[in-house]
Amino acid sequence: MRKAMQKAVGEFISSDPMSSLLLVDIGVWAFRDLLREYPSRVKNIGIFEPGTVGIAAGLSLLGITPTIYGISPFIVQRSLEQLKLDFVYQKTGGNFITTGASYDFSTLGYSHYCPEDVITLKTLPGFEILTPATPDQFTRLYKACANNGKPTYFRMTDHCNKNEAEIEFGKAKLIKSGKKGTVAVWAEMLDAVVESCRDIDVNILYYTSAVPFDYAALQECTDSKLVLCHPFYKGTFSDDVQKTFGGTVEICEIAVPREVLRNYGTKAEKDMALELTPSGIKSKIDNFLK
Amino acid sequence: MDETAVLKSLRKGILNTAHIGRDGNIQSCFSSLEILWALYNGGMNYTPENRGTPFHDRFVLSKGQSNLALMAVLAECGYIGREELNSFCKINSRISMQADRTKFDGLIECSAGSLGHGFPIAVGMAFAAKIRGSGEHIFTLVGDGEMNEGTMWETMLFAASEDLDNLTMIIDDNGSINKMLKGFDLTKKLEAFGFVVEKVSGHNVDEIKNALQKRGGKPTAIIAKTVRGYGCKTVMEDNSWFHRYPQDDELAVLCREVDEF
Repeated sequence: MRKAMQKAVGEFISSDPMSSLLLVDIGVWAFRDLLREYPSRVKNIGIFEPGTVGIAAGLSLLGITPTIYGISPFIVQRSLEQLKLDFVYQKTGGNFITTGASYDFSTLGYSHYCPEDVITLKTLPGFEILTPATPDQFTRLYKACANNGKPTYFRMTDHCNKNEAEIEFGKAKLIKSGKKGTVAVWAEMLDAVVESCRDIDVNILYYTSAVPFDYAALQECTDSKLVLCHPFYKGTFSDDVQKTFGGTVEICEIAVPREVLRNYGTKAEKDMALELTPSGIKSKIDNFLK
Repeated sequence: MDETAVLKSLRKGILNTAHIGRDGNIQSCFSSLEILWALYNGGMNYTPENRGTPFHDRFVLSKGQSNLALMAVLAECGYIGREELNSFCKINSRISMQADRTKFDGLIECSAGSLGHGFPIAVGMAFAAKIRGSGEHIFTLVGDGEMNEGTMWETMLFAASEDLDNLTMIIDDNGSINKMLKGFDLTKKLEAFGFVVEKVSGHNVDEIKNALQKRGGKPTAIIAKTVRGYGCKTVMEDNSWFHRYPQDDELAVLCREVDEF
């Protein structure tokens, strides 16, 4: 996905002289050609995320579309006030691409984890939150939104799905149809859900967008039982489900528990510890549908 | 009316507006008034005629608590109607304690409120002007107390690195930071961060205007020495006026003090 991101961003910067890319001292080698080719508006400006987001807002207010590339918690949490006041309140647009996902940097510890990125950004009205999980999905979403005048978060993952779903901005994609319930799944959890539901008769509805949220697809697919499966903190979509169904649907949520994650290991080992593997997911769905 | 009389009139107007709106940062507004007046009266390339065009100088109020002074100056200069000041802090007003760009069509460049935000945005605007090759100069008013915020210094590093000579930061230095931190030498710090530093009396309009024209091939910082509540004895001496509005029985007394100053 990183390569697809570099290509998509490179094409945008090359095609639009009123655009700018700000690196927070990551991706510098990958963007070396772009840095050389457009030195006045492609910058590695150093490690100061809040200030960088503020500078990006200044660019945006004067008509230069900024794209920032950084690590999830340092953009979402360290710079949250800048996202809120400098972008959302000022009604101006920008692109915030992050690496790290929930715990992709599994050995770097809690400072580099961010399973709370989506629920945190959902507190900012009008902030688009996109969660592509294949290179093609990133490209589609970035092309659709990079210049739409809104603040947009692109959450990248290093653990892409092998299931390639052809997606559309803001729309959920029905991956599989079934009768016993619906599993709504986000981001890199799709592969595990597809595998875990191979012998379970359920709809699988795949989302690459947390905001805007495709309420209509969820309503259309869901009868009485709904499983939410995502790599974010539990409760991330509680308001969306409440808004769609009130209390009329039985819910099972399979997601990252709201705990301080103190262990290390690999991404796979963390998934196992959190029971977010195909077998862990299958067991929970089987129990729920009994 | 001469300039001194106009500024006295503006101070009395600010007191009256705060009285009507039942809120105010009077000390900050009086501290910044001459700086704001200088900016909109020849200090920057911004006039009723060119403000509708894309390429005029721009002003960012980073020190948001001086917004009522800014509004008073904009009204005096004819950018908004004087009667609109009477809506200060009302439910659907365009005018509140903090500048709000979303309520104005280009007149306010940037919303303010949380300190340490306007300056980085001004740096981004100066950077944007360089990319556009538009020749705009970006002026921003910050408070010396605001210099405690980390975002000020991290974006100064960038402004200096990019040689943003189209950026002027005016520091309303009313002695706030030295009440909090010992031995804070603002001049040395600004110079170390790559700014050309000018020093003026922040209540001398001519000195301020001259400094606003200085260009030194680097970003410029103007340290404007000011006094909190300047122009009204009680507001200067009683720090409760940092965030307070005049009651019915205080308004006339304070206005008289402005006249007598």
